[in-house]
Amino acid sequence: MATATAEKTNGQVKTNALVKKDVVDIVAARIRVLQEKNELHLPPNYSAENALKAAWLALQEVTDKDGRRALDVCDRTSIMNSLLKMVIQGLNPAKNQCYFVVFGTKLVLMRSYFGSIHVAKSVDERIEDIVADVVYEGDEFEYEKLRGKTRIITHKQKLENIEKAKIKAAYATVIYKDGRDESVIMTIDEIKQAWKQSNIHPIDDKGNIKLGTVHDKFMAEMAKKSVINRICKPIFNGSDDSNIVAWYARQTDGDLVEAEVEEEIAEKANQELIDVEVEAIDSEESEALPEPQKQAAQNKKQPDAQGTIFSPTGTEGPGF
Amino acid sequence: MRKGPSFHLPALRGLVFEMIEIKALASSSKGNCYRVTDGKTQLLLECGIPFKEIQKGLGFKVSEIAGCLISHEHQDHCKAVAEIIRAGIETYMSFGTIELLELKEKGLCGHRVNVLKSKRQLTIGTWTILPFDTEHDSVEPLGFLLSNQVGEKLLYATDTYYIKYRFQGLTHIMLEVNYSLDILRSNVESGTVDHVLKNRTLRSHMNLENAKELLKANDLSKVQQIWLLHLSEKNSDEKRFKREIMELTGKPTFIAGAN
Repeated sequence: MATATAEKTNGQVKTNALVKKDVVDIVAARIRVLQEKNELHLPPNYSAENALKAAWLALQEVTDKDGRRALDVCDRTSIMNSLLKMVIQGLNPAKNQCYFVVFGTKLVLMRSYFGSIHVAKSVDERIEDIVADVVYEGDEFEYEKLRGKTRIITHKQKLENIEKAKIKAAYATVIYKDGRDESVIMTIDEIKQAWKQSNIHPIDDKGNIKLGTVHDKFMAEMAKKSVINRICKPIFNGSDDSNIVAWYARQTDGDLVEAEVEEEIAEKANQELIDVEVEAIDSEESEALPEPQKQAAQNKKQPDAQGTIFSPTGTEGPGF
Repeated sequence: MRKGPSFHLPALRGLVFEMIEIKALASSSKGNCYRVTDGKTQLLLECGIPFKEIQKGLGFKVSEIAGCLISHEHQDHCKAVAEIIRAGIETYMSFGTIELLELKEKGLCGHRVNVLKSKRQLTIGTWTILPFDTEHDSVEPLGFLLSNQVGEKLLYATDTYYIKYRFQGLTHIMLEVNYSLDILRSNVESGTVDHVLKNRTLRSHMNLENAKELLKANDLSKVQQIWLLHLSEKNSDEKRFKREIMELTGKPTFIAGAN
């Protein structure tokens, strides 16, 4: 915490943006050392240099929610760590596999679902591909569950079914090189539940998707993203700690949670002042109150319209 | 189990009688239960340990308890709820908690179960209690602000990764300090704690860093005691937490329960 604050202060004092050699060149050098020591093996078709160049270009455009440039507000350590995590996972922003988001003064690397599929394939070499689709009302959709594993048997769709209000579920399937496949299905309720955790807050208090949000506009794509993340999670979590790519994949997800939580707390914690209203309480009256109410409630024994079975506080509440 | 510190401190401090007495019967993810009294009305906060241990912890004077407040439905907070109700003790919890505990289905939702609603205050004996909503991975978790007739005010908050609210005139604070971010991070690095658990912890429990922010955001001028609750077995450091909170606040600080 102390380090972060110090860096924050530095970041604010510094008016000039970070320059490439301060960041990218240092990360590139670190990676070369790791490779020379044989601690890091990047896929043969992956160029760390190209990915870093693409990331640097992408970073010029990244801004925080107030429109300030990431390179002006983010601390250097978080930028370097994001880049390092990107390279270790073999991701490239130019291939839409990852992107960067600013949380306060921290830059956080996020994987797109293309990125998650890419990482899953490198974590588990038996995986040929991961695909996802959306099930609409009226689709012919059948699946079976055997020994805890889900297999899709048929999914037939008609064009007229495709309408975002009719999304019933989404599923993702891991196809293995030996021909096996395994799926995960999420109902629309489960998907919405997952979206509730999103820092964009696309779901309102009543559980509906807010109009105009990315989740509303691209509902099918966002549903696929959720179910792909769901199917990838056990792939990342299941591998042991010696798998450096899987470890960094988990770490990347963890960074996001940490940043989201930190942002939420900074925004919402310790705000509204609340207090007991002592004047409003006549002790005799309030002590006497529960009895008749309890009697009434015992007679009812069912929750009333407000969902309260009965309440000792009833009408004497201070009316917050 | 440790006894409340007021046994060891002088009862008279200046001209004010120190009335609130706190006793931690248990405080960890294995079980939580506290007895709080202002000398007139005894309350239980949580009943997340076997009923026998509660009886023992209360010196077999369970019948003296005027009410048991339950923050949420996780077992480490309400394990003994059925026995508590059967023992004739009034219980108080949110509607969500009642539902999740299936008290109605178990035939326990009779006259000893009282529904609490965030920000709707109630009175139990000499206590006026304001429940407030907290942030935990449960359905309708609550924290409690308890005020007594001599103007003392106790804040009780556990299993919440932050609190939306601020409070005034607190004299006693019972606050979860479950973990420290640096310890949790290094436990993930070393493989002692997995990422899944870390993510869940981040979104459900109060850490040292945020507890400090909470204490800084509240007026502590009248605070007499701070109790740190629910320390994680793996991700906390009792001595360090106590020291850091004392250094920050200058208030007598106690670690609840024996971890």
